[in-house]
Amino acid sequence: MMTAVRCVDICKTYRQGDQDIKALDHLSIDIEKGEFVCLMSPSGGGKTTLLNAIGGLDIPDSGEVWVAGQRIDEMSKGQLADLRLANVGFVFQAYNLIPVLTARENVEFVMQVQGVPANERSEKSLAILEEVGLKGLEDRRPAEMSGGQQQRVAVARAIVSRPELVLADEPTANLDSKTSGELMELFTELNEHHDTTFVIATHDQRVQRYAKRLVRMRDGRIVDDVEQHAA
Amino acid sequence: MNIVLRLAWRNLWRHARRTWLTIGAMVFSNTLLVFMISFQFSMYGLMIDNTLQVFSGHMQVQAPGYKDDQKMRQVVPDVQSLANQLRGELGIETVAARGWSFGLASSEERSYGIGIYGVEPAFEVNVSNIPGLIKDGQYFESTDALEIVIGTMLARNLRVGVGDELTLLGSGLDGSFAAAVVTIVGIFDSGVKEIDRNIAEMPLGAFQEVFYMNGAGHQVVILAPTLDDAPAVHQQVAAALPEGLVVHDWDALQPGLKQAIQADISSAFFMYGILVILVAFSVLNTQLMSVLERTHEFGVVMALGMKPGRLGRLVMLETTMMGLIGFILGAAAGALLTYWFSVNGLSYPGMEEMAANFNLPGRVYPQVSWLRTAFGPAVVFLFTLLAAVYPAWRLRRLHPVEAMRTL
Amino acid sequence: MRMLPVLSRLAWRYLWRNHRRTLVMLSAISIGAWAMIFMTALTRGMVDQMVSDGISVLPGHVQLHNPDYLDDPSITNRVNLTDAELESRFADAGFAAWASRVRVPAVITSERESRGVTLLGIDPVAERDFSFVDYAEVEGRFLESAADNGVVIGAKLADTLETEVGKRIVLMSQDPDNEIADRGFRVVGLFHADMETYEETYAFIGKEAAQKMLRIGNTTTEVVFFGDDYRNVEPTYEKVIAEVDDSVRVSRWTEVDTYLGTMLGVMDGFVLIWFVVIFLALSFGLVNTLVMAVFERVREIGLMLALGMKPASILGQIILESMMLLSVGLLIGDTLAWLTVKPLESGIDISVVAEGMEMFGASSMLYPKLYMGDVVLSNVVVLVLGFLASLSPAWRASRYEPVEAITKV
Repeated sequence: MMTAVRCVDICKTYRQGDQDIKALDHLSIDIEKGEFVCLMSPSGGGKTTLLNAIGGLDIPDSGEVWVAGQRIDEMSKGQLADLRLANVGFVFQAYNLIPVLTARENVEFVMQVQGVPANERSEKSLAILEEVGLKGLEDRRPAEMSGGQQQRVAVARAIVSRPELVLADEPTANLDSKTSGELMELFTELNEHHDTTFVIATHDQRVQRYAKRLVRMRDGRIVDDVEQHAA
Repeated sequence: MNIVLRLAWRNLWRHARRTWLTIGAMVFSNTLLVFMISFQFSMYGLMIDNTLQVFSGHMQVQAPGYKDDQKMRQVVPDVQSLANQLRGELGIETVAARGWSFGLASSEERSYGIGIYGVEPAFEVNVSNIPGLIKDGQYFESTDALEIVIGTMLARNLRVGVGDELTLLGSGLDGSFAAAVVTIVGIFDSGVKEIDRNIAEMPLGAFQEVFYMNGAGHQVVILAPTLDDAPAVHQQVAAALPEGLVVHDWDALQPGLKQAIQADISSAFFMYGILVILVAFSVLNTQLMSVLERTHEFGVVMALGMKPGRLGRLVMLETTMMGLIGFILGAAAGALLTYWFSVNGLSYPGMEEMAANFNLPGRVYPQVSWLRTAFGPAVVFLFTLLAAVYPAWRLRRLHPVEAMRTL
Repeated sequence: MRMLPVLSRLAWRYLWRNHRRTLVMLSAISIGAWAMIFMTALTRGMVDQMVSDGISVLPGHVQLHNPDYLDDPSITNRVNLTDAELESRFADAGFAAWASRVRVPAVITSERESRGVTLLGIDPVAERDFSFVDYAEVEGRFLESAADNGVVIGAKLADTLETEVGKRIVLMSQDPDNEIADRGFRVVGLFHADMETYEETYAFIGKEAAQKMLRIGNTTTEVVFFGDDYRNVEPTYEKVIAEVDDSVRVSRWTEVDTYLGTMLGVMDGFVLIWFVVIFLALSFGLVNTLVMAVFERVREIGLMLALGMKPASILGQIILESMMLLSVGLLIGDTLAWLTVKPLESGIDISVVAEGMEMFGASSMLYPKLYMGDVVLSNVVVLVLGFLASLSPAWRASRYEPVEAITKV
């Protein structure tokens, strides 16, 4: 199996007020293609920072980060943008969607930036929206959808161009239990169907049950890393 | 009250760049307005003074109808006595009698039809610039001598100089043939083409002889101490006049002058109006946004018990502060700019030629005055307040719970 | 620029996201654009009228005189070419119009009064197209040929002289030997002119009658030429120069009436300055609007950057938004201007300030004139300056770091 993500001894420090916060403290981790990983830590534990580092959004102060076989910690901003465009799908906690675009347009957005021709885009976006269970809502704007529906659109957008890696940061934070469950079911299904690597940062206990691998972090370090079987 | 002031002030600076940009619009407009208005009105003042002081004075006593028809027979009888009497009653020396006739002036080589004025040498200099603008030779002193002064252009057209003689031909008051030979004693350059080309002056006594005026004339010219004193002087003159004569103000004598100024003011104020409106829109935009983005916050505050009316006043207070800053900075900048030009003078390419048409110098020194400095910015300030009324008013319709639901 | 459709769609929709603000800005831009064009149309109309009135009495785009005439405009300084010679040189040169005439200062005397006038001995047929007198509007009749024996004076002059059509007047001037030259004429017509001073100053007689009265054979004092555009007289000037030598002096109208010539240049400058001033007044609001729009969108910008959009695209999006806003505003403003100027083109009556207008050299009817060039210029100024003004907010927007932007609360 190929390594999707590899971090070697990465460090990241933030300044907050007059304090130095060590968000990542000599952290190393390997994630194989097709894995379904949950990063857990209390607030400020560093999971978001790690996710951002893996996604090429935030370069660590030191150490190496490899994504899809490329070393990204020394890339330029432009190269990182290209990397994100081609290889990574993001699902954020909130503000995932561009409010002035419809669901379909949001899904097509990344493909447009990639330069995919219009009819192909259209085909793919409709297909993926159906797959996530939003058939019929393609032309609605985010404001016209529920929280759960919005997150589904975000997921659809994240996977439509078949990225290597999907990174989700607290995807269930604003959802009720039922919707959370539905979302996680969706993740699982996509992971199994399309062999996409999922890395999910969360401190929601409900999410943990779906993970095949649990990585606990504290103060920028990994304190626990176990395989488990999904419930 | 103090806390509300502090709150309003701080609210302004939450988005410093936005506030500064809005103030910037005000300062820009105000500076422009102050400068333009000072410049304009300085120019008007100059125009009026310059034009009137050349020849026409602030007011003239004439026979009724003379202003429009300019007929020889519309006379002011005993014109020198009248002038004397007015000098006494008004207590000023800036009163002079004149007579006028159309005639043909011939030199050795050329002839031209011109207007010939008979003037009182001792007093004409008090009401007109022309005696002081003699370039060649001198003005006359005696009131009976057969002497004449003409403009530079006329001298050139007649191909004459000081010392040459001119033959004057015309009609006398009684319709009979009038002729005389006069000696040119001086040549003047008034700067006004019409005057330099068409007008000659000779002593009133000699004039009255040549044209059989029998002691009559056509005008008594009066110059008030300043333009502002003119209305008062007008009253006195009107009271002192005998039957059958009228006194005309300068705007009746030179209607073009006042109208030109009016037309200029209208077009200028159209432009100023547009500027003020654009600034008002700027303020409207800013305050509207400022209010809308605080919807949540206002909702909270209202839930805690503050009435929408007070919130509205808060917004108006913020606007007033912003407006005052714009007013003061803009007025100061405008005044400084004007002051700089009042010392160094303002001239733009083409101005000299255009100015000559209106008796203006090619370089203008605008004057700073409180009124001219405050007027434009005051209007901008007013419209600024007006612009904020809509956003402030909208607050009245705010419901706390709805408001707080806004993110 | 394959990103253009996406960016345009985003730009347009974001514009309308906050429709109140956009509407306020649009109103401001429309009013600004309208004011630019409207004011310019008024000014152009006035200046055009002034110039054509001024040229009509000068007259001519290009003039030909004896070299000494301009300093000493008397009968001794005539053009030393006879009418026949002029005809042979200029008849086929392709001028819009041309004519030779006699212009001298003279005294006109009626039974009651005398006045100084400028006497013009003309060929009315040749001058019909460019004369400031509308032949059809003359009370009585205008001159019919160069051999006409009547005189046509201004209505105002007739009043002053207390004369009328059918009565006789005497015209008196000088011949080249300095002798008095005078003759009686019957008044055959009274003309009206835009400018009252013209009515008081000019008197027309037939060219041949003038030549006979002044004993100058078949010579004249000036030759005038018209091209198609008073703003560009070079072609006409070249044509005239080609046919003459140093024995005559050829001048363009801008050299003869420097006031008008300067006025044109000053007006052009004034128009441009007015445009820039308006734009500057708008620019504060424009930049503010963009800054606010970007500020509200920080998270979404961060999102787009996170998803892999290049910063240049963000820049482009903001600039597109600004240009769209300006374009729509300009469109509305242009339309408003056209709608307000068109009905007024038949003339605005400002006779209440007629004499003031005469001081400027303008008449009491204002004919606003919409020039496409001005409309284009005003739009270009707004778009170009608007582009420049939006660079700063757009640049800042593109500089956002996705991580910071996304996490902004």
